[in-house]
Amino acid sequence: MKFIRKNIIGLAALGLALALWTSCNKDEQVVSPPLPGNEFMTTVKLIAVNANDPSDADTASWVDLDPAGSRQPDLSNAFLDLKANATYNVQLQFWDESKTPAEDITPEIKERANYHLICFTPQGGLNLTVNRTDHDGNNPPLPVGLQDNFVTGAASSGDLNVKLRHQPNVKDGTCDPGSTDADVDFQINIQ
Amino acid sequence: MYCFTANMIMLKSLKPFAGKAKGIIIIICLSFLTTSLRAQNCSLEISGIATDETQEPLAGVAVQLYGPAGKGGMTDMSGRFVFDHLCPGQYRMTFTITGLKPLSKEVMLRDRDTVLRIALQQDRKHLHEVTITGKRIKGVSTLASTTLSGDALAKNQGKSLGQLLEQISGVSVMQSGPTLYKPSIHGLTGNRVLLINNGVRQEGQQWGEDHAPELDPNSAGSVTVVKGAASIRYGSDAIAGVVLMDPPSLPDSPGIAGDIGLEAASNGRKGNVTGSMEGAFDKSLKGLAWRLQGTLQRAGNFQTPFYYLDNTGMAEGSYSAQLGYHVSGLELNASYSQYNSKIGIFAGSEVGDTTDLIQAYNNRDKPLVRDRFTYDIQRGYQQINHEVMKVDAKYRLSDFGDLELSYARQKDLRQEYSSDIAYSSDPKVQNLPEDWFKLITHSLDLVYDHHSADGFSGSMGLSGETKGNVYQGLGRIPLIPNYRDYGGGAFAIERYGRGKWLLEGGLRYDYLWRQVYRYDINTLNDYHSAYDYHNLTGTLGATFDLSHHFTMDANFGMGWRAPNPEEMFINGVHASAAQFVTGDSALKSERSYNTTLSLHYKSDKLKLDADLYDNEIRNFIYAEPIGTRQILGVGYHAFQYVQDDVRLLGADISGTWDVLPVLSLTSKTSLLRATNRTRNGGLINMPPARFQNGLTLHRESLGKLMQPYFTLQNVSVLRQGYIVPDQEQLLPPPPPAYSLWNVSMGAALPVGKKQLDLSFAVENLTNKVYSDYMNQFRYFAYDLGVNFILRARFSF
Repeated sequence: MKFIRKNIIGLAALGLALALWTSCNKDEQVVSPPLPGNEFMTTVKLIAVNANDPSDADTASWVDLDPAGSRQPDLSNAFLDLKANATYNVQLQFWDESKTPAEDITPEIKERANYHLICFTPQGGLNLTVNRTDHDGNNPPLPVGLQDNFVTGAASSGDLNVKLRHQPNVKDGTCDPGSTDADVDFQINIQ
Repeated sequence: MYCFTANMIMLKSLKPFAGKAKGIIIIICLSFLTTSLRAQNCSLEISGIATDETQEPLAGVAVQLYGPAGKGGMTDMSGRFVFDHLCPGQYRMTFTITGLKPLSKEVMLRDRDTVLRIALQQDRKHLHEVTITGKRIKGVSTLASTTLSGDALAKNQGKSLGQLLEQISGVSVMQSGPTLYKPSIHGLTGNRVLLINNGVRQEGQQWGEDHAPELDPNSAGSVTVVKGAASIRYGSDAIAGVVLMDPPSLPDSPGIAGDIGLEAASNGRKGNVTGSMEGAFDKSLKGLAWRLQGTLQRAGNFQTPFYYLDNTGMAEGSYSAQLGYHVSGLELNASYSQYNSKIGIFAGSEVGDTTDLIQAYNNRDKPLVRDRFTYDIQRGYQQINHEVMKVDAKYRLSDFGDLELSYARQKDLRQEYSSDIAYSSDPKVQNLPEDWFKLITHSLDLVYDHHSADGFSGSMGLSGETKGNVYQGLGRIPLIPNYRDYGGGAFAIERYGRGKWLLEGGLRYDYLWRQVYRYDINTLNDYHSAYDYHNLTGTLGATFDLSHHFTMDANFGMGWRAPNPEEMFINGVHASAAQFVTGDSALKSERSYNTTLSLHYKSDKLKLDADLYDNEIRNFIYAEPIGTRQILGVGYHAFQYVQDDVRLLGADISGTWDVLPVLSLTSKTSLLRATNRTRNGGLINMPPARFQNGLTLHRESLGKLMQPYFTLQNVSVLRQGYIVPDQEQLLPPPPPAYSLWNVSMGAALPVGKKQLDLSFAVENLTNKVYSDYMNQFRYFAYDLGVNFILRARFSF
C-alpha cells in the first residue's frame, strides 16, 4: 500500500518535471520566411504574333507586385497594338516577378488545365474576337485559353478583360463556375 | 472584500496550523472551523456541506435525519445544513436532490459535534431529468448558469458543442456550413467565450469564424454555461460567458462499468460511435480509479432540401484517458485527451472576389458545384489535432479547505488546405497546407477553496500561463505572426450565505506580456516587438431566496480580453468572404461591465426562469469596412480592425409547465439588442430573436418501456433587422425569418439488469428551405434539409 502510494506520487512528480522540462523549447522565435518553392502570381503577359507576318509582334504585361494590394499595379506596359483585320497567335503567360530571376507559372497552370479557364471579354467597342485554341484533358476536351487566336476587325480601341478562373471539379466550358485568381484589363489599340 | 479582512485574522491565527502545510497557507486566505467539545447531553450538532462531484456546494439538497430525533431540512444557499440540539446516539442521514444519486450515511454521535462533507455523485442512469433542480455554487454563483448532464447529453450524441448548447436560452451558434459550429453566448463568440474543458482553458485558434472548438462533447459528464462576464474566476476572455465541460467523476466502488452509444443520421449519412469504460480497484490498490473514453465520427456531403453540399464531409476521432488516486486527504489525477478531425469546406464557398460572392448568392437555388453524395473529402479542408495533458493534485487542508495545484500542457495544430493548389512545380509544396498553425500552451494553477459551516465560502488562487504560436504558410505575408505570451493572474472570491441570502464579491488582477516575431516582407529580416496588458476586474452579487418558490440573483461582473494576434496583425484575404482584413497592433484591451438580474420561480407544476442582462463593452474590437482592395485585379472588400463602445441588452426567458401528469409544455426565448454606442448603429453577426416551444407527452412506463416520451418542437427565428448599414451594404441582406418543426421520441428498455436507451428524432420535419443569419455560409447555400436520427445507448 505504502509502496504503491509512493510510486504513484513519484510518477506524478516525474511527469510534471518532464512536462516542464520539455516546455522550454521556443520554436516561435524562428520565423520561417516565405517558402522557396512556392510561386506568387504577380504578372499577366500577352504575347501576340501576327499569323501571316512574324515581324509584327507585341507584348503587353500587367504587373502587381504588392501582396497586400495597397499599392497601385504597374500598368506602364499593359497595352497592345494590333493591326486591323488580321489574325494573331497569342500566348498568355503568368509570371512570378517577386523573385529574381522571375519564374514562369504558366507550366503549372497548363499542368492543371482541367481546373482552369481563361475568359476574355472585349469592352467598349473593341472589334476583337478571341478564340481559344488549346484544350485540356477533360472528356470531352474543353478549351483552356493559354493559346489563342485574336481576330481583329476594323480600327478601334478599348479594354480586353482577362480573367483566370479556377474551376476545380466544376469546369464546364463556361466562365460561371469557380473563383477568380486574376482579373486584369489590357488596353488594345487596333489600327 | 471579505477576504482581505479574513486574511488579517488568518495571519494572526495561523498557529494551530503549525507544521505540515504552513508554508503554503501563508499565501492564501483561509478560514477553518474548530470543533468544540461540549460536555452536555442533547446539545450536540451535526452540520456540514453538500457538494456535487466537483466539490462545488449544492443548495436545495433535501437532508433527512433518522434516529433518536427525526428531522428534515434543505441545504441553504451555501450548500450547508445544520441539525442542532441532538442527543448522543446512532443516526442515519439521507441526502437527495433530483438528478444526482441519493446518498445515505450513518453517523454515530458521542460527545462531540460532527461535521460532514457530503459529495453527491451524478446519476448516470437517470433518464429524464435534464437539469439539476438545486443550485450549484460554481465559480461565480450569482451569475446565471445552466447545466446539461446525463440524459440531456446522451440525447444529443453526435452533435458538436455549439449545436448541443444551442438549446439553452441565451446561447446561439456562429456557423460555417453544416459541420463548423461555435457557441455564442449573449451574442458573443470566438475568443469572447471561454471554454474550460476538464479544468483547462481551451487554447486553440479560436479567432476564426470557421474555427470550431477543438473538443469532443461526448467526453463530458456535464456541460455548464455561465452567462455573463466572469473574468474574476476564469481570467481573460470571459467577456460574454464561460462554457465548463467536466468529465464524469471517477468511480469509487470497485468493478468495471461502461456504456456505448451509437448515432446514425440520414443527412450526411453520418455515423457516430462513442463509448467509455471505467473502473476502480480494491484491496492494495484501493483509491485508484480509471476511465477511458473515445468517439469516432464520419459524415459525407450534407444535404439541403434539394441539393447536396459538395465537400462537406468530415471525419473525427477523439479519445481520452483519466487516472485518479486518492488516499486520505490527497487526490491525484492525470488525464490525457486527443481530438483529431478532418473537415471539408463546402466547395461553393470558395469565392475569389466580390463578383463571385454576389454570383454565388444569386445561385443559391443551384450552386455551381457538383450535386452528389460522397464521403470523400477533397481540398478545401481543415485538419485539426488537439491534445491536452493534465496532472492535478488536490490536498484537503482541513474538513473545509482544499488546495489544488494543476498543470496542463496542450498542443493545437491546425492545418488549412485551400482548394487552390500552390503554383509550384515541386509536389512537396503542392501538398502543403495554405496555413499551418501550432500553438503550445502550458498552464499552472493553484486554487484554494474553502467552505465553512459558518456560512462563508470562497476560493482564491494564482494562475500562470505561457503559450507559443508558430505559423507557416504559403503566402508572401504571414497571416498571423509567431508570438509568445506570458500571462499571470491572482484572484479571490468570497461568499457569505445566511438563511435566504447569499452575498458574493471578488477581485482579480491579470497581466499579459506578448512578444511578436515577424519578418520584413521586403528585406526578409526578422524583428520582434513586445506588448503588455494588465487589468483589474471585480464582481459583486447577491442571491435572495424570497420563498421556497421564488429566487432572485443579481450580479455585476467585469470581463477583459487582450486583442488577439489576429486582430493585431492579420493582413490578408479571409477566404470564403471575399474580404481583405487588416489588423492594428495598437488595439487596447477590451473590457466588459455586465449586469445580470435572474428571476426563478418554481412550483409543483410550473418553472419559470428569466435572465435580464446589460453587457456594456468598452473598446469592443471589430472589423470595419473601409472600401475595396485589389490584388492582381481581383477585388475584395477591405476591412480594418477598430474599437468602439458597444452595449448588449437582452433577456433569456424559459419555462416549463406540467399541464397534465403526462403533458408538459416548454418554452425558451432569447432576445438581444446589440448597439454600437460610438456610432449609433447595430453590430454585425448578432443573433436575431429566437423562440423554442415544445410539448412533451411522457409516462413512467408503457408495457416494458420505461419513461417513454414524445416531443414536438417548433423553433422560430426572426429576421435580424438591426444591423450596420454600411457594413451590410457590401454583403447580401440578412435572410428572412423562419420556423422549423422537430420531433423526437424515445424510451428505455431494461435488458436484464442493464438498460438500453433508444431514441428517434426528425429535424426540419417539413424539409423547409431556409437560411440562418448566423451561418456564415448563408451566401452560398441554404441550410440543411430534413434529418432522421436514430440513437441507441447501452450502459453496462
